[in-house]
Amino acid sequence: MNLAIQTNVKERTETPAEGLEEKIVVRHLNFYYGEFRALADNNVNLYANKVTAFIGPSGCGKSTLLRVLNRIYDLYPNQRAEGEVLLDGENILKPTQDVNLLRAKVGMVFQKPTPFPMTIYENIAFGLRLYEQLPKSELDGRVEDALRRGALWDEVKDKLGASGLSLSGGQQQRLCIARTVAIRPEVILLDEPCSALDPISTAKIEELIDVLKREYTIAIVTHNMQQAARTSDYTAFMYLGELVEFSDTTQIFTNPKLEKTQDYITGRFG
Amino acid sequence: MDTHEHIVKSYEEELSSLNNKIAKMGGLAEQVVGQSIDALDGRDPDLAGITIQQDEVIDELEKEIEEQAVVMIARRQPMAYDLRQIMAALRISTDLERIGDLGKNIAKRALAVVGEQQPKQLMLGLKHMGELALGQLKEVLDAYIERDADRALKVWYKDEEIDAMYNSLFRELLTYMMEDPRNIGLCTHLLFGAKNIERIGDHATNIAETVFFLVHGSAITDQRPKGDHTSSTPVPMRSAS
Repeated sequence: MNLAIQTNVKERTETPAEGLEEKIVVRHLNFYYGEFRALADNNVNLYANKVTAFIGPSGCGKSTLLRVLNRIYDLYPNQRAEGEVLLDGENILKPTQDVNLLRAKVGMVFQKPTPFPMTIYENIAFGLRLYEQLPKSELDGRVEDALRRGALWDEVKDKLGASGLSLSGGQQQRLCIARTVAIRPEVILLDEPCSALDPISTAKIEELIDVLKREYTIAIVTHNMQQAARTSDYTAFMYLGELVEFSDTTQIFTNPKLEKTQDYITGRFG
Repeated sequence: MDTHEHIVKSYEEELSSLNNKIAKMGGLAEQVVGQSIDALDGRDPDLAGITIQQDEVIDELEKEIEEQAVVMIARRQPMAYDLRQIMAALRISTDLERIGDLGKNIAKRALAVVGEQQPKQLMLGLKHMGELALGQLKEVLDAYIERDADRALKVWYKDEEIDAMYNSLFRELLTYMMEDPRNIGLCTHLLFGAKNIERIGDHATNIAETVFFLVHGSAITDQRPKGDHTSSTPVPMRSAS
């Protein structure tokens, strides 16, 4: 009698992946900082219009994985990736990949807000001008649209000429998200976007993530378990460069499959 | 279930304090149920009175557990197994509080039947049923302390026996009442007592489900037949003599 029930328990822990569109597929990804292997044979899918959270202790490779997804590591010498990262089926690690085009498709927001030292308007318009030739009126429209999507428009519409650096930390971070959204990417990578923000600004960004996922695929790296639980649909737990467990967020935070995952999310690690 | 200790010691202490309170509450609930049946069996108004008072301690503990659980959810934001431990404590404390109430009800019946005389065999079935329910309660509380889902599952299946016994006791008491209308008063009290014991068994079953959920993170999926058929049992007509 117990057997039937045990089997049922097992079946329920399988991740349902039906009806989901694979936006990014990572296969056998290894990443090296010089000799050091920071990612070991990672396999993970990012689904379209879903938020995937990456959690794990410092140095486990979660930020590294994010940096591979738009090849920002290319900017540094001695860093290389092996394996495959398929964006809509195309391997973005191939040498012929146009990285500028890739970064237009896969935008990134960092831990510390990084507004350009220019006006709020220019912070948004700058990227748009790089990729598109737009008449002034249309440019104005796109800047407004981006700031609205960044949930910042109402707060800055009367001071678009002010410096981006004059904004508060939370506003600066939303400006960075607006800047990312302005060039209409397909994927947004958020690396600890709220770690320097107060709870209200954090809530605004989390609300923004909820809204943005309707149109974009989102990956978020966070040290805050509750934030991962609140914002994501899927969660990947990483440890020492390995992807330990990937599952439905509800599953991970209520009944993870592996003891290692449970020890980490409940604060029992060590 | 074998788990490592929390890095934050005070969190670990809070969880074990919650655990201890459930154990204490469980011990008291067992005591209340056991004494209430003894009081009914032995026509002992003093024991019945003490038992009724003890139920208040159980109620107090339930409040304490509820408050502690709410504070822990707010302050610790528990996840995974920790979250299940806190949810389980909340659910089990509610069941134990109800078990205490049911024990108290039996004790009140004991007070009501103090003066009544009745053949000893009337009490035998009820006592046996009480022992079975008490055994179930003990077993499921041990399963909780040991985090033993298999043991809880056995309790869950065994509840059928209490239900079956209740059904036969129902018929038996009905027969006594028909034999001699002077039995009706006493038998009605005993019938309510039996129903209370049957409900105690149901709460032990709830606790078994909670223990299973606590260990596995999922509900028991098997079907267990519901055993109380008395609501549809017709009263046999006495044949005209």
